[in-house]
Amino acid sequence: MVRFLKLYEKIGIFILIILGGVFLAFATPNFFKADTIFSIITQGTYGGIVAFGMVLAITSGGFDLSVDAVVALTSVMLAVTIPGLGVPSAIIVSILISCLVGFLNGVLITKFGVNPLITTLSMATIIRGVAFLITQGRQIPISQSGFMNIGTGKLWLIPYPIIIMAVLFIIFYLLLYQTSLGRYISAVGSNEGAAFISGLNVTFIKIMVYVLVAFTASIVGIIRTSQALIGIPSMAPGFTLTVLTITILGGTSLSGGKGNLIGAVFAGIFISMIYYGLNLLGVEYFYQMLAIGLVLIFALFIDGLRIRYLEVAKVKGIKV
Amino acid sequence: MDNDRNRRLKHRAGLIWGNFGLPFIFILVLVFFAIQSPMFVSWRNLLSTFGFSSYIAIAAIGMTFIIMTGNFDISIGSMLALVAVLGSSFIPAIGGVLGVLSTIVLATLLGLVNGLFVTKLRIPAFITTLGMLFIFRALAYIYTNNFPVYIQDKFWLYIGNGKLFGVLPLPIVITAVCYIAAYLVLRRSPLGRYIVATGTNPRAAELSGINVDNVKMLAFALGGFFVGIAAVINSANMGAANPGLLGQNYEFQVITAVVLGGTLLGGGNGSLGGSLVAAMIITFLGNGMGILQVGSYWQLVATGLVMIIAVALNKLKFYLLGQGEL
Repeated sequence: MVRFLKLYEKIGIFILIILGGVFLAFATPNFFKADTIFSIITQGTYGGIVAFGMVLAITSGGFDLSVDAVVALTSVMLAVTIPGLGVPSAIIVSILISCLVGFLNGVLITKFGVNPLITTLSMATIIRGVAFLITQGRQIPISQSGFMNIGTGKLWLIPYPIIIMAVLFIIFYLLLYQTSLGRYISAVGSNEGAAFISGLNVTFIKIMVYVLVAFTASIVGIIRTSQALIGIPSMAPGFTLTVLTITILGGTSLSGGKGNLIGAVFAGIFISMIYYGLNLLGVEYFYQMLAIGLVLIFALFIDGLRIRYLEVAKVKGIKV
Repeated sequence: MDNDRNRRLKHRAGLIWGNFGLPFIFILVLVFFAIQSPMFVSWRNLLSTFGFSSYIAIAAIGMTFIIMTGNFDISIGSMLALVAVLGSSFIPAIGGVLGVLSTIVLATLLGLVNGLFVTKLRIPAFITTLGMLFIFRALAYIYTNNFPVYIQDKFWLYIGNGKLFGVLPLPIVITAVCYIAAYLVLRRSPLGRYIVATGTNPRAAELSGINVDNVKMLAFALGGFFVGIAAVINSANMGAANPGLLGQNYEFQVITAVVLGGTLLGGGNGSLGGSLVAAMIITFLGNGMGILQVGSYWQLVATGLVMIIAVALNKLKFYLLGQGEL
């Protein structure tokens, strides 16, 4: 069992993707076209990008349930500020405001000691409410069509969202595995007390993590708003669940201290394949809800087994 | 000496806050809305709002148990919707009484499933129940194809809308009975002591021979049980079980009530009375904001703020009592 779990940890997500690919290849006539494959990967980037942030959060021993609301807030902020500020400044302003939300999350969690679940859940409600208040519940169209390029443009054949994800992946990869901040994040997640005693500024590290999560969420908000060209206060309902599913399916353990960014990329693509397949079947959206929920439970099941068996193996002194 | 006096003063402040803080806030809320609107203080509105508070208050009992044992259940809103559509759809086949019973039994089973995942697989409760939140809601949609199930059964409707002696809304009576029973279980039975022990120090509880996993699982099952009762009352109030509308934001309101009521997140001792008063505060806040025609978006912001304030107040209380840091 331990061997199986170690093997799954390494290649499980690839097997899932291959199985999904085989299924879709039979189910759809034009699956093996560049367009189809790129569109599946592009859909996968949304969850994947925010999963980078979530990987950091879970590695540090926390999590963030406010990402869907941050996506919506970014969308609304863009729609409101673009007419006055122009596209580049509007993007910077909305990213900064999202980071501020992340900062507030971090401060509430570290300085006031409020549980991350309660903090981010309350923050999600508040931010969603603010997004609705800003637009008075309406959707605001964006007239700058040049803005559309970010979400729909292509460099040669590759859509921009995929390039954005690749760039962010490199940044987060370097951050997590090559910088001291990355090691500190893992240290805080493995054993917060020990990290504190060895002189790490746990408060700063945790606040940083929540800022980064909000940052990734706001990038996804920009991409999706640019595709829709509308500021939508109700954007991305249930997105948080997708992101958490991707993160855990990608092999980031809920016990903290151990993040897996590459897994997150491929888990994002796998989830996107499921969406694509369900769309082909023409079922209604609540089947997607069900599917994501079931995949999450499956991923949790594997993670639970892993925690359990590796614990037993450690007690028995088996090397893994 | 001075330090000692300081500590005792703090302790006394903590006790006063712990015992009288919530009722004081409740009266404050009532007085505030009474000044703002005469409609609010009419007997009719007050009595019916007390009735509606059962919706949050009853589920808050189960949530108090769950939080006391160190867990959460954020799937209860979807659970409420799912068992309400299932139970009410059984009415034509098995009748109203059995329909109500089956609703409660189903909810208990769903709670037990959550408990199994959390205890046997050691998956953190928030994420298990987050997954279940989506699965239950999706199943409710799929089962009904997104059509509401209209309830015509007299017994079912009576539970939510009936009046004892022609004045007292039945939900108030049910809430009172539930709270008395829960109080007896928590303070007068071994099970209650197991729950407190598990929440305060799981390791010590396990070493003294308590099966901690079973206690936690039982707390989840009880959580489901009370959600089942609330499901019957709520769908009876609405006259229909709507898979999309029932139980929206429910987990949020109920957890807020429990936290505001003084149960410490992360486990430990809790307060059923506190949960009850807090549930009424939240319901009356909602009712008052509705009467004053506060927009629903502001209400969304307000619910989030109340939750964070509740947690902060709770921390303050335990700090004053010398049981925690600020």
